[in-house]
Amino acid sequence: MDKNQSIITCKDVSTDRLKDISFELRRKQIMTIVGPSGAGKSSLLFLLNRLEEPISGKIYYLGQNIKDIPVTQLRCEIGMVFQSAYLFDGTAEENIQYGPKMSGKLEDCNVDRLLDLVDLPKSFKMRHVTSLSGGEQQRVAIARTFANKPSVLLLDEATSALDIKTTEHIEELLIRLRDEKEISILMVTHNLKQAERMGSQTLYMEEGKLIERGMTTRMFAHPETNHFEKFLKE
Amino acid sequence: MEGTELSNLSLLFIIVFVFIPVSLSYWFSLNLSKTIIWSSIRGVVQLFIIGYVLTFLFDLPNWQGIGLWVAVMVVVATINAARKGKNIPFVFPVVFIIIALTEVFIISLWLLFGYIPFSAEKVIPISGMIIGNSMIAIGLAIERLQSQFREEKGRVLAALSLGATPQQASLQIVQKTLKAAMIPNIDGLKTIGLVQLPGMMTGLILGGVSPMDAVRYQIVISLSIFVSVAVCAMMVTILLYRFYFNDKMQLININS
Ligand SMILES: Nc1ncnc2c1ncn2[C@@H]1O[C@H](COP(=O)(O)OP(=O)(O)OP(=O)(O)O)[C@@H](O)[C@H]1O
Ligand SMILES: [Mg+2]
Repeated sequence: MDKNQSIITCKDVSTDRLKDISFELRRKQIMTIVGPSGAGKSSLLFLLNRLEEPISGKIYYLGQNIKDIPVTQLRCEIGMVFQSAYLFDGTAEENIQYGPKMSGKLEDCNVDRLLDLVDLPKSFKMRHVTSLSGGEQQRVAIARTFANKPSVLLLDEATSALDIKTTEHIEELLIRLRDEKEISILMVTHNLKQAERMGSQTLYMEEGKLIERGMTTRMFAHPETNHFEKFLKE
Repeated sequence: MEGTELSNLSLLFIIVFVFIPVSLSYWFSLNLSKTIIWSSIRGVVQLFIIGYVLTFLFDLPNWQGIGLWVAVMVVVATINAARKGKNIPFVFPVVFIIIALTEVFIISLWLLFGYIPFSAEKVIPISGMIIGNSMIAIGLAIERLQSQFREEKGRVLAALSLGATPQQASLQIVQKTLKAAMIPNIDGLKTIGLVQLPGMMTGLILGGVSPMDAVRYQIVISLSIFVSVAVCAMMVTILLYRFYFNDKMQLININS
């Protein structure tokens, strides 16, 4: 498989909250999105999961317009983890099995392995989600999304509610998943250190617009736009 | 039906008793006097008007009187129940059709089994109970459906993002909505007769009907109401939850 193959391509995508967004996410790439609150970072992820529809512009997944891919299939392949865990009422196991169950592939779902992937012990299977800590809930949410075996992972501040240790764990996990499963990751973060650690590429957004993008090391060392330079200093 | 009759004078006596809560309110500075007097007068006037309207309707040929009044009741019930879901497309026609179908279905059964003859005196009060209870159940269902979609928006989005269809993603909401719409009626059935005799049975017994005969009628009406409530709640919930999704399986119409 071509290492530079484009997995997701956004071409001049606009909605009432986003303006002319264009970028490309490649195979095995981890890309971070940063920007002030209300910049439209979450809105962009919603479009890629097709929870919302662009007014103009096109989005391609593996070269195919996402409008031509069955919605449920697309959402399984481009998995999303939300800003809040949004776990369903029930046990951790029921949550993790949700996606495969909906698409009738429950027998392929190995809950023990998925729990292990997010560093949770097997005993958590039967735990009711309301009895889990915030960090544990977020990890169950990641395992739940991963149960669908996505080839792209969209993460919306998945670690913002977690302590440093758990955050590091999840960062390691994501890098491992990228290396082992060859997935591509697009992650929104408020944590600039995390953006520097994780992303080979960074997108900087402000007021619905993509202001600056490029190699993370270059962008953080020599910001091209005043906007991003100012954002880095704050 | 042999019954006791109330003269206007004896009616006046009971109205005098309204001054007991009024003076209590005054004594304890509850500021309720106006409300009590006003709602009592309103209730009395409303009932008298209904009395005249019913007298007029009962004098019409049966099919005219029944048709006219049932139509009025269905429309009023529709407006009352559906206005709670103004942001949902087609809510008025959907609710109207559900109430009308339920009413026609139940009354047809009553006529078919010979529980009542096709006369305005019998059909109109029974219809009132069927339509009124359907209205309450549908109103509750719409209210709950709205609040559930607002409160559970995040979870519905999460379910969709995991590849669930709208039907799968709203399963819990639909279940909770149905429960909420049917619980008052189920609870009512559980304690029926133990705490309070149903209004219709009380009326029949006061009117001189034997308790066992009154019970028979009450069984038929209670179960008819229960069936109407269940059918209405199910139909309205199952028809309306779809309007929260578009054909791309995206969530819409959430903000009221
Ligand atoms: N459901 C909605 N309806 C209308 N406007 C919305 C909705 N959700 C978000 N917005 C608006 O769209 C803009 C972008 O919001 P978005 O959530 O994408 O920002 P964000 O970059 O993710 O911010 P944050 O860092 O606070 O999560 C904001 O101005 C927000 O108020
Ligand atoms: Mg956001």
